[in-house]
Amino acid sequence: MDALTRRILFLALVALSLPALAQDRAAEVQIKAAFLYKFGEFVQWPPATFARADAPFVIGVMGADDVAAALEQVVAERTVQGRPVVVRRLRRGEALTGLHMLFIGREDSARLAETLAAAKGQPLLTVTESDNAIAHGSVINFVAEDQKVRFDIALPPAERGQLKISSRLLAVARRVISI
Amino acid sequence: MAAPRHSISHKILAVKLATTLVALLLALSAMVAYDLRLYYQNWINDVQTQAELVGQMTAPALSFDDARVAGENLALLRYRPRILAAAVYDARGRLFAAYPQPASGFPKLPEGDGARVEGNELIVFKRIVNDREILGTVYVRAEYSLYDRLLGYLGIAGVVTALGMGIALLFSRWVHRVLVRPVLAISQLAAEVTEKRNFALRAEKLTDDEIGLLAESFNAMLAEIQRATRELEASNRQAAGEVAERRRAEEEVLRLNAELETRVAQRTTELQSANAELEAFCYSVSHDLRAPLRSIDGFSQVLLDDFPKDVSGEAQRYLGRIRSSTQRMGQLIEDLLNLSKVSRGELARRDVDVGEIARQVFSDLQQREPGRKVEVSVWDGMQANADPRLLRAALDNLIGNAWKFSAKAEHARVEVGLLRDGTQASFFVRDNGAGFDMRYANKLFGAFQRLHSANEYQGTGIGLATVQRIVHRHGGRIWADATPGKGAVFFFTLAPGSAPETQASKEVAA
Repeated sequence: MDALTRRILFLALVALSLPALAQDRAAEVQIKAAFLYKFGEFVQWPPATFARADAPFVIGVMGADDVAAALEQVVAERTVQGRPVVVRRLRRGEALTGLHMLFIGREDSARLAETLAAAKGQPLLTVTESDNAIAHGSVINFVAEDQKVRFDIALPPAERGQLKISSRLLAVARRVISI
Repeated sequence: MAAPRHSISHKILAVKLATTLVALLLALSAMVAYDLRLYYQNWINDVQTQAELVGQMTAPALSFDDARVAGENLALLRYRPRILAAAVYDARGRLFAAYPQPASGFPKLPEGDGARVEGNELIVFKRIVNDREILGTVYVRAEYSLYDRLLGYLGIAGVVTALGMGIALLFSRWVHRVLVRPVLAISQLAAEVTEKRNFALRAEKLTDDEIGLLAESFNAMLAEIQRATRELEASNRQAAGEVAERRRAEEEVLRLNAELETRVAQRTTELQSANAELEAFCYSVSHDLRAPLRSIDGFSQVLLDDFPKDVSGEAQRYLGRIRSSTQRMGQLIEDLLNLSKVSRGELARRDVDVGEIARQVFSDLQQREPGRKVEVSVWDGMQANADPRLLRAALDNLIGNAWKFSAKAEHARVEVGLLRDGTQASFFVRDNGAGFDMRYANKLFGAFQRLHSANEYQGTGIGLATVQRIVHRHGGRIWADATPGKGAVFFFTLAPGSAPETQASKEVAA
């Protein structure tokens, strides 16, 4: 049993002891952290985005400290595309430079649009968990379905950011938006 | 003739079929074993690869907890009908997705990487690893139709074996037709030739190979035998003809012999009867002649004795002549009667001493003429098997002749002896008297043959004829040797086989 499994088991035990709603949110955070980590495997960034050969893979988390915390645990001692993973917590409006992936916590549409506009055209995989996030230019957006975490993928913003998303990832997406 | 029970063709067929069978079985076994092994390995590789693919395919679904996608991925296995079931377990060992639906009969927990065969099924577990992290495990259950495959192979093997054996059988038939049948044909022909003794049969030359040569040689041999047999038969026929001819000739000879014997017997009988008649006539005539002669002699003597005065001197002289003539005639008749006598009557043969008889003859002669001085020599031990009366008559004549013809010799000498020449014993009577000319030797033994005048020596000329007849009656032979003036020897033999014994000793009589 590896570390992740152990951790997941531990978290599951912790979650069982919490009230139902808190339990749901905790599990959701864990799953989303894990998904974020795994997205890195199915997306190809332009080589220029990495300064050096051993440059780290940087994941920015904005407006979701619980997810950042969970992600930090998940990526510890792990690599994405052979690179060490760095989790950077960002405040709203902070510059997005040096990031490869950006998770934006639940936001209202205006703010979300603002942040996504900043990311637009950059080789940055944007992941959101808000309704209409795709419409605002997010690449991946988490949705809940049948009490499970699923996600939609929009290809045009990815293409604009010169990101190539593996078809295998597309295969497990809830919806893939091409236009 | 039927083919022999363990004929070569059957043996060849058996060997060929056995060889074919063994070769086929070995080849098929090797092929089947190789194929089954290959099948096993390939199928395991195949299924393992399939499991790997399924793993890779379902890795994102596992990562993003999408059992539906995983199920869809697994459902693609319906295009592999030989994969009976498949499942994906998540990292925690829970069943994540399964094919076919509804999921049942799947292991509760996944196992480590591996493949194993359970009955007719191949079970493979394959872990899904991504970046040293185990995402889950794929379980695949595929059909493992080794036995079906084996059965299929056995079917093929059966068909191939049957085909192979069939071909071998056909080949063997061909071999039988090409090789064995010609040999059998020759063999049958040989049996037929032996059975029927028909050397005119010929083997058919069916092939142009060594067997054909055999047939030709066989035919040549048959031709030779036929020729030899024909010659032998001809020779036999000829020999049989010759034998028959010879037998016929022998029969002819026998027949002629028998005829000859019959004729001889007939002639002999005729001759004997003629002889008997002649002798009877002769005897009768001689006997009847004697009476008138006696009258003439008697009355002449009466005239001389009783009437000497009435008969002149001259008449007396004539009467004397009459008497001497009648006496001579009487003697002649006596001799003829003797000759006739020795020819008649049975031979009474017994062992006699020839010397004894000779000595009696000499004694009688000496008494008749006491004045003669003759040196007599009779050998001792001269035995013979003869009729004593006839032998006496013969010796009377021979010794009497010797005595008579040696009368004028200075020292008369008569010898009776025996000469032996092998088994032949010849008696002889030798004198040193007048002898005779050998030119007349062939006339010696005829009746009335005289070599000397009656004036010189008295005699009738019948004596030697009588002797010859006696000797002949004893089955002997008589012959003579002489020199005029020096003497004569008369030899005679008696029946052969009655060889007398002899002891060379001399007895001299005065």
